Amino acid sequence: MEYKNRQPIPYWNWIPAAFALSGIVVFIFATYGPPASSSGFVSTLKGFFEWAAPEYVAAKAHYKAIPGPGSWLFAFVLGMAIGGFIAGRTSKEIPVRDVPPIWKKRFGDSRAKRYAATFFGGFLILFGSRLAGGCTLGLFISGSTQLAISGLYFGVVIFAVAMLTARLIFGKIAEKEEIQ
Amino acid sequence: MTTIWLGLFSGIAFGFVIQRIGATDAHRMARSHLMLDADIPRFMVLTVALSAVGLFGLQSVGVGRILPLPTSIVATGLAAVIFGFGWGLTGYCPGTTWAAAGEGRMDAFFALLGGLAGSALFAQLHETLIPILYDPTNVGQITLTDLFGNHAVAVSVLAVGFGLCAWGIGKLWRSGERVVASERGPDSGTSLGNAGKSG
Repeated sequence: MEYKNRQPIPYWNWIPAAFALSGIVVFIFATYGPPASSSGFVSTLKGFFEWAAPEYVAAKAHYKAIPGPGSWLFAFVLGMAIGGFIAGRTSKEIPVRDVPPIWKKRFGDSRAKRYAATFFGGFLILFGSRLAGGCTLGLFISGSTQLAISGLYFGVVIFAVAMLTARLIFGKIAEKEEIQ
Repeated sequence: MTTIWLGLFSGIAFGFVIQRIGATDAHRMARSHLMLDADIPRFMVLTVALSAVGLFGLQSVGVGRILPLPTSIVATGLAAVIFGFGWGLTGYCPGTTWAAAGEGRMDAFFALLGGLAGSALFAQLHETLIPILYDPTNVGQITLTDLFGNHAVAVSVLAVGFGLCAWGIGKLWRSGERVVASERGPDSGTSLGNAGKSG
């Protein structure tokens, strides 16, 4: 594929990046246990409901199973947001966009449409994660690292379905135009 | 208290790295799913291969804590289908929504809100859904060690298998040309300059 405006790629090379991330994953196993991020959503909610509806939290199995915001799980997702913030502010090359270009080409410029879609998509990924007990990190990466069949099984299916979905939604656009 | 600081530190490091590889960029994630850019998927599988070897090292010196999740044939599979659809549609997964929202991407912030709603609904339905979907086909906390009978062999098989996946993704995905996502292209108006909106 040839592009006219060739720029140096702003992202890290994948191999050193994988060494860096696996170092972090192993550090987490050593200092805490299996890393997870979808549980952080439940921690956040637990914190909210403990304030708004304490009896409700006390009665529900899902909130009983996961600690509130004063926990590693919540600190981790909060840290992820801070890490993303720092990384975003210290990189001049990686574009920060509210609506991805590929989405604009397929669905137009409407922010409301994109935000509605990501809200719905976010709803699905977390509903699925909570049903399976983990997400890309908490089940696929951390599960597979522990050799768990659940992590491998989840990983294969999420990749297959996401690739199929992306193909159905963006496939024609990507074929027609050079989407960089 | 130490635990919280460790979590915060780990999260910052993790969020930083996934931003630098471009996993917080939904555009790049869509291109990965379309097999146009190999870097994120092969980065993910190589991370698993290396982490598995690292964890094996930790376990051999008796450090760390593991907790493999059980496999429920129906629930894990169905959850993965729901998850995969959302991931393909938005380009975000639960962890990246936090980092991308922190980075200042408004669509990720909405994905995060949607995620809170999805978690809240599941927590509400937990007592109903788990006995129907999860428990009947729950085969327990099975791992590759159960399959191969030996921990070291299982770790080697996983590490080599995922290493081969990383190599295969590089071959199958169209990623020969490494180019920047075109923020200097037609939509440069929405890029970079939106630092003010994230505050």
